[in-house]
Amino acid sequence: MADRSLAGRLGRLRGPTKDASACVDGSPTASGDVDPAPLVRAGTVAQDSFADRVQRLMGGSSARSPGAPDESSLAESIGAERIAPGVLRLERLLDGRTRHGCAPLSCFVLDADPGLQRPLVEMCSRPACEDDEGLRWPAVFLDTETSGLAGGTGTWAFMTGVLRQDGDGWRLRQYLLARLDAEPVYLEAVRDELADAGTLVTYNGRAFDGPLLTTRFRLAGFPDPLHDLHHLDLLGPTRRAFGRVWPNCRLTTAETRLLRFVREGDLPGSEAPAAWLGWLRRGEIAPLSGVLRHNRWDLLSLAGLLPALARSFDDPTAFGADPHAVATFHRSKGREALALRLLESERGRLGPEALLDLARLYRRRGDWDSALRLWESLSATGDQQARLALAKYHEHRTRDLTLALELALGLPPGADRERRCDRLRGKLTEVGEDAGRDIEGDRRLAPD
Amino acid sequence: MTPPTSNDASTASRHSSSTALPVERLKSRLLAKYAARISARQVQPATQAVWRELPPDLTPALDSALRARGLERLYSHQRAAWDLARAGRHLVVATPTASGKTLCYNMPVLQSVLTEGRKALYLFPTKALAQDQVAELMELGRALTESGGEGIRAFTFDGDTPGDARKAVRTRGDIVVSNPDMLHQAILPHHTKWAQFFEGLAYVVVDELHSYRGVFGSHVANVFRRLRRICRFYGVEPAFIFASATIANPAELAERLCGAPVEAILESGAPQGERHLLLWNPPVINPDLGIRASARSQSTRIARMAAKLGLKAIVFARSRLMVEVITKYLKDVFDQDPRNPPRVLAYRGGYLPSERRRGEQAMRAGTVDLVVATSALELGVDIGALDVAILNGYPGTVAATMQRLGRAGRRLRPSLGVLVASSDPLDQYLMRNPEFLFGASPEHARIHPDQLLILLDHVRCAAFELPFGDGETFGAEDLGEMLSYLRDEGVLQRQGARWYWVADSYPANAVSLRSVAEGNFVVVDTTDGAQTIIAEVDYGSAPGTLYEGAIYMVQSQPYQVEKLDWVGRKAFVTRTRADYYTDAIDYTRLKILDRFEGRLQGRGAVANGEVHLVHRYPGYKKIRYYSHDNVGYGNIALPDQEMHTTSVWWQAEPAALEAVLPDRQKAIEGFLGAAYALHHVAALRVMAELQDLGRAVGDGQGTWFAVVGNDGRGQMRGPDNEPLEIDGTRRFEPTLFLYDNYPGGVGLSAPLYDDAQRLLGDARDLVAGCACRGGCPACVGPILAGDEDLAWTPRQTALAVLELLK
Repeated sequence: MADRSLAGRLGRLRGPTKDASACVDGSPTASGDVDPAPLVRAGTVAQDSFADRVQRLMGGSSARSPGAPDESSLAESIGAERIAPGVLRLERLLDGRTRHGCAPLSCFVLDADPGLQRPLVEMCSRPACEDDEGLRWPAVFLDTETSGLAGGTGTWAFMTGVLRQDGDGWRLRQYLLARLDAEPVYLEAVRDELADAGTLVTYNGRAFDGPLLTTRFRLAGFPDPLHDLHHLDLLGPTRRAFGRVWPNCRLTTAETRLLRFVREGDLPGSEAPAAWLGWLRRGEIAPLSGVLRHNRWDLLSLAGLLPALARSFDDPTAFGADPHAVATFHRSKGREALALRLLESERGRLGPEALLDLARLYRRRGDWDSALRLWESLSATGDQQARLALAKYHEHRTRDLTLALELALGLPPGADRERRCDRLRGKLTEVGEDAGRDIEGDRRLAPD
Repeated sequence: MTPPTSNDASTASRHSSSTALPVERLKSRLLAKYAARISARQVQPATQAVWRELPPDLTPALDSALRARGLERLYSHQRAAWDLARAGRHLVVATPTASGKTLCYNMPVLQSVLTEGRKALYLFPTKALAQDQVAELMELGRALTESGGEGIRAFTFDGDTPGDARKAVRTRGDIVVSNPDMLHQAILPHHTKWAQFFEGLAYVVVDELHSYRGVFGSHVANVFRRLRRICRFYGVEPAFIFASATIANPAELAERLCGAPVEAILESGAPQGERHLLLWNPPVINPDLGIRASARSQSTRIARMAAKLGLKAIVFARSRLMVEVITKYLKDVFDQDPRNPPRVLAYRGGYLPSERRRGEQAMRAGTVDLVVATSALELGVDIGALDVAILNGYPGTVAATMQRLGRAGRRLRPSLGVLVASSDPLDQYLMRNPEFLFGASPEHARIHPDQLLILLDHVRCAAFELPFGDGETFGAEDLGEMLSYLRDEGVLQRQGARWYWVADSYPANAVSLRSVAEGNFVVVDTTDGAQTIIAEVDYGSAPGTLYEGAIYMVQSQPYQVEKLDWVGRKAFVTRTRADYYTDAIDYTRLKILDRFEGRLQGRGAVANGEVHLVHRYPGYKKIRYYSHDNVGYGNIALPDQEMHTTSVWWQAEPAALEAVLPDRQKAIEGFLGAAYALHHVAALRVMAELQDLGRAVGDGQGTWFAVVGNDGRGQMRGPDNEPLEIDGTRRFEPTLFLYDNYPGGVGLSAPLYDDAQRLLGDARDLVAGCACRGGCPACVGPILAGDEDLAWTPRQTALAVLELLK
């Protein structure tokens, strides 16, 4: 008779290949034994018994190995304190002279100037639509390490690091979930850290860390402490200011470029899940200390990036940011003078799109001459947008309809051009050909 | 504005007086001209409506909204559904097509939304149905606001819902209309995002219940186990409301699906026009070979006659290809002048949603006279009233047959349904046994929610959603044992008394409720340098329809596949004027991997185990329209499609086989014929569709397999499809396989193994009792002209093999 145990039945249904691939940690499974005989008449096929498997399960390598997780040696090894069974807390007080990258930590305080904070405030997600001048303090920098990137209710935030200012220095705390069933206590500790936070500062936390923590709190039956919190995700401002000039906007890229901080021997974030599982399953400690260090670096970089990003919006050139993107942001928030100043100072390096924007800003404040010069030089290089702007300018402003028509005729073919040309021809007939010629004046552009 | 008329009966009688004549004229013309082809007929008399009052506790806004839409009274089953649903009971409404089932659930749901602020989840098996339903709810919502009440927010939630709209659906929707796949992959694994929705959930509405059977139903039953588990987490116990077409066991199926007692409402209070039903067997054109005219030729003829009498008709075909072929033939007759709006319309899966919506609109507007459709239209998509339904071939189940026939005859008009038999054994069986169709539904929709692999998949998903606690149950298997197994796999970790998910994966993505989800192919039209997506083809159908050189048809416009990007899942096509269509040749190679059990039976052995299967598409045939001549071949270069599945197989003792059928050529043909018959009776036996099972003949080691060659003879082929000499000296042990045509198997082969002896008896009776002489498509498959005069006819060889194995 064939084996009726669950494993035996599954092995039969599933076949060897599938079973092996489904086995995550590569430990041997029962159905690895295959009888290749095509047809054994009325015989039986050997299968591992379920008892064999249970034995392996209980005494074997996978679940409860002899080196079962030992929290106190973990705590000792990483220098953490065990605040409850299964919850470890590692605390470090950093004085203001500690360096992270190119500057001491003490520099990582935003200037009192609320104007500098303004762009960040605008990119902050705020539960209510308060019109805050500056960021709400204190800022709490937060970063989690997770059991995976898959999302959904089966992903854990097993480590949560928080960093905040403490007097002249900084206080960095990392919470580590060392036992799965201790999650409620762990979450309570995280919640307490957030209790007095003015602004939560993360990197990609809007899409990742935030929703994940929210899910964990809901699963544990707690109210969501993030719900009413101001949340500044630094990925937003980074993308806006540097998205077009950097190869990518990863945190490591940002910290190298803005803080000149280079990680050495960092454990990649992608290896964090395996490190935690290694601890849970086999009590491995070493990889976890790598995760802790990685998480600390993330937190310090967050703190460093906040002022650097704020300044990038004030003086993009100094930080290598994209002046056009920054100016566009300011303009969208109604700071046209600032936008204009930024673009003007970078004028020599601007592309046509940015120059058009600059011309638009000139036009809006009535500086037609400056706008005209930009349009003309752009149009001379064949820029159709500039040509269109010129056509409009001459149609409505100088009323040089002939010139306007000539410009319009050079626009790319299409319904828009036809409409514009028809309108101009109509106007020309109305005022009479001669009048049109009169208006033509002497500032006529050389047709190309 | 004139309010819509509320009196259903008066509209109906007005219609019937003007149109009764053509339907009856068509029927009598068919009877007079083709009496010999009509193997059975039935008339279902018209029935009167059974009315009930609107419920007195209906909230005033809903009451006036219903009245504003002309609903002054309810059919008896609608009122019965209200009473049960408001009492919080699980219920199933199984009444005929077009009996107003939608209102059975919409009324109690809207009442609870309006008066208690509760929420409801609607599930439809397809996206198209979900969209229809939302349109319907929107209309009701408008009526509500017009009667001064509050509106309702009903949203679809499916793969097309844009990311930025999903949050609004989750937090603001009163009614979320989705499908089981979304519930499984997107909602349950993210239930915390839906917390607000779950906390208010009062009703789960499951329409088209009868489609939840087999593999799909077994999966969905487990999805519902997970749903109820999540609901308990949020402290709610929603009532399930099921709606079903007529099957034998709606209540049983519903109970199996939701795992709780369900009240059944089976009596329809809706009136029905007179229904005429004809079973039509195409004439025998070669009595010796038992070859009949094609169903297609008959269906198009009946459709033409219907359209010429001014009737609106629908033709249901079983494959997408057949839809296109029939559409072309009908368009050649009715749509010759491109200046006129088309009178013939094709409707099938694979068209883009926008195109389908346009088609539905044209049908409702009545500008289309003939619709040719696949099962995509079988389910409740609203296309307005039709007079005639023609089924080109038996759809495979009585429920599907009745639902398709029910497409004709809305609004109390008399209607005509014609089932045109194909030469398939099942169709021919029905022509000989019409009571199968005319009597009470013989069909029990079966599901196996505790099928081990399916169950384990969902235990995995459920563990991801919420940790299991010791003592919890999930399905009929020992949960603790399954959890231990998953821990051993490394995805779970037990701590305290709970089992926690710890793996870095999202298990629902690896579990498809219907088939292997490998990603759909898009068909890109590159004619004149354009890049327009004109259709989508599912992974399983792609190799057989999108190979380079294939003619792919959309609305009977042929396109030729120029390039297939297998990895990118794209087929680039250009418009063509080819006068042929293409049909892929495929063959199956099978290798036994593991034998679970076996026994001696008859003069041979039967066994059950795991096999490795390779589908290959070596080439295709070009077939000319109308003449159906084979006008050429092309090669297909595609990767092999591999599958592990379970199978049952039979072998004869070599000595006994040689004694009965010494000629190996004959023996191979006998096995092929026996496989054909066994395949069909097996599908009936396990209540599966024919395509749920596959058949093959080979040696089980992948060194040779047998096929019917282009010359109609059995051939031996090698591992690369090369022809082999049959009378070689090799060991000759032909093996007949029936395999579970689903990766991993869905437990179809085990019952076949247990029932093997009965199965062989059935197959022998089918072959022995057939009316043909030497073999025909209704027993052993098509045979060659002249073979019926052989000393050993194909029928006899097949019988010999079946006797040997029995």
